[in-house]
Amino acid sequence: MSHVSFQTEHFEAEVDFVVVGSGAGGAAAAVTLARGGQKVAIVEAGAWRDPEHYPQSTFGALRDLMDDFGAQVTLGGAFWPVVQARTVGGTTVVNSAICVRTPGDIFRQWEAEHGLRGLEAGVLAAQDVIERELAVEEVPESARGRSNVLAKHGADRLGWADSHYMKRYVKQCEGAGRCMQGCTGRRKQSVNLNYVPEVLERGGVVVSCAPVDRLVFEGTRAVGVKGRFVHPGTRKPGGEFVIRARKAVVVAASATHSPVLLMRSGLELPALGRFFRSHPGTGVFGVYDDPIDQNVGATQGWASVAFREQPGLKLETLAIPPELVASRLAGGGTVLMERLARYRHIAMWCHAVRAESHGTVKPGLFGSARPVIRYQLNRADMERFRVGMTLLAKQHFAAGARAIIPGIAGLPYELGPDQLRLIEEGPLDPKHYIAILSHLFGGCVMGTDPKTSVTDARGRVHGVEGLVVADASVIPTNLGVNPQHTIMGLAVVFAQALLEQHSGVRVGVAA
Amino acid sequence: MLWFVRSAIVALFPRVERDGVVIPGAADCGLDEFLKRFKAETTTLVWLGTVLGAFVFHFTPLLTIFVPLPAFLLPKGLLDRHAAGITTTSIYLLRQAVFLVKLPGGLCWGADPQVRKLIALPPLGTDPGTWRAAG
Ligand SMILES: Cc1cc2nc3c(=O)[nH]c(=O)nc-3n(C[C@H](O)[C@H](O)[C@H](O)COP(=O)(O)OP(=O)(O)OC[C@H]3O[C@@H](n4cnc5c(N)ncnc54)[C@H](O)[C@@H]3O)c2cc1C
Ligand code: SF4
Repeated sequence: MSHVSFQTEHFEAEVDFVVVGSGAGGAAAAVTLARGGQKVAIVEAGAWRDPEHYPQSTFGALRDLMDDFGAQVTLGGAFWPVVQARTVGGTTVVNSAICVRTPGDIFRQWEAEHGLRGLEAGVLAAQDVIERELAVEEVPESARGRSNVLAKHGADRLGWADSHYMKRYVKQCEGAGRCMQGCTGRRKQSVNLNYVPEVLERGGVVVSCAPVDRLVFEGTRAVGVKGRFVHPGTRKPGGEFVIRARKAVVVAASATHSPVLLMRSGLELPALGRFFRSHPGTGVFGVYDDPIDQNVGATQGWASVAFREQPGLKLETLAIPPELVASRLAGGGTVLMERLARYRHIAMWCHAVRAESHGTVKPGLFGSARPVIRYQLNRADMERFRVGMTLLAKQHFAAGARAIIPGIAGLPYELGPDQLRLIEEGPLDPKHYIAILSHLFGGCVMGTDPKTSVTDARGRVHGVEGLVVADASVIPTNLGVNPQHTIMGLAVVFAQALLEQHSGVRVGVAA
Repeated sequence: MLWFVRSAIVALFPRVERDGVVIPGAADCGLDEFLKRFKAETTTLVWLGTVLGAFVFHFTPLLTIFVPLPAFLLPKGLLDRHAAGITTTSIYLLRQAVFLVKLPGGLCWGADPQVRKLIALPPLGTDPGTWRAAG
């Protein structure tokens, strides 16, 4: 068993496969390779925190779990936060664990538009296994909380084609409503609790506090990674590490970090860093006469995919902690405090827009590892965005809200049911809205043409041997549903293909 | 620099009393300790953003309430009007800049046990700031 954490000395190792990043994609790929009898090293930029190490406050979560203190934003117009984690387990530690299978139309779209064949059976088979292993279940009645129940009531009253309590990778949720700070009750099955330790148990190595700086090549073959440890408290640099891969390097550092790592390692593919996409989302608060206590119950418990195809969005409940509500509500001074005084009476429901717009990811100033993300929504996406907000407002009113708080700059703070027109005709400039990007895609997209893609349908980087990308960055389209399950399914299929290539043994449906 | 950031946050999150109920302001929530911790433990870029936010907050009363004084010299009533005005200004860059100082204010205020009690939430434990050692 070997876990290597921050150290000031030089560290070297040699394994069969090096996996960069331990989030949804990295952990799923690593455990598949380890189960196939391979010696695997997971190299992760963040520290390994178990539930007893999780922070309690939102400040602690930003400091200990989030990438760049959650301060990454889009450039090119509106500054919308791009939220990801930096810890063993990646963003699965801070996410809401919502589990949605890849919709069939996505595989058909990938095949028609990107020539990607033969993924569906393998991904769905992998998702079957993951659902069992990560204890996927519907949010139990005892953990639903009033906000989730009201959302279902509102959607049902409006007769929406879909309105359901979510399925999540959570074993008996106790409704603590703190998924974003890490689930201290160990209910949420983030991959730092299962797949990463399993890699250790199977003789692998986990190297934490170890941001990979460069991939190492011999000719056109990737043979390892190198970097320098970073202290998780002081952020001071430690010793260097070099980890060699006898068979292949799997990069799973996320949709923003993977393309940047490949670029900084000298790869020059025309599509690298392009086609960055997301599901930008915002929340609409409902104001209710009775207390809602939105932080009691599952952080996210209800969803609807009724509008996934037209106009192209998903609706969900979302309870953010009071520390963030305090800056999210408009205003300052007495007026803000009076708004906050009604905290118990507000519930936030949100949308995630299936945006068609795409942008770019590049290394930061002077080639630094801090990604620079240029991304803005076009008019069609902003129209979807606005429709989504109107739907949420209608849902709140159907659920009995007295007013809604749209959070649109330039509009009144609260709107009544007869003022929805103000949202319907609201501004189309993204700068008027407070949105976040948490579902990210692209940057190293899959495809058959090296001019428009970075990897093939098994994540293998065009023109390079022994280099596979296995995270959200390979996804060439939006999904219209939460991405973790798709990312994990793809990562398993890619790892199975690697096992087949290196051992000749057929593994899984997709091999 | 801390007092500069502190005074902006105190103006954004003042103590308010309504119908006999006291809503604690940021100054009642251990703001001094929090800001020391925030400065020491956040990234340099985030701290610079916070200072920039405070700077914008203090030097824009002319735009919001047409008074040519920095916010830290304003009497209470005018300061409160400025706090409301600058957080909802139509100038995007200013609104965003002030958000950078409102954010740590919210992080401090919303984590305070008195505030959490008021909104029927249990107090938060401490942030251990620990991680799994090698082995
Ligand atoms: C708040 C929030 C809630 C969400 N909720 C859901 C949800 O409920 N359901 C869902 O399906 N999706 C959800 N998502 C999205 C989902 O979590 C992500 O899409 C998914 O985790 C991405 O997987 P990944 O493997 O691409 O990246 P990540 O899971 O982010 O993992 C990448 C890892 O790589 C590490 N890394 C980065 N650079 C380097 C480097 N240079 N060297 C070494 N390591 C590096 C990072 O530290 C990180 O641990 C949510 C996201 C957020 C932010
Ligand atoms: S709602 Fe609470 S108990 Fe349920 S998974 Fe999230 S943090 Fe854990």
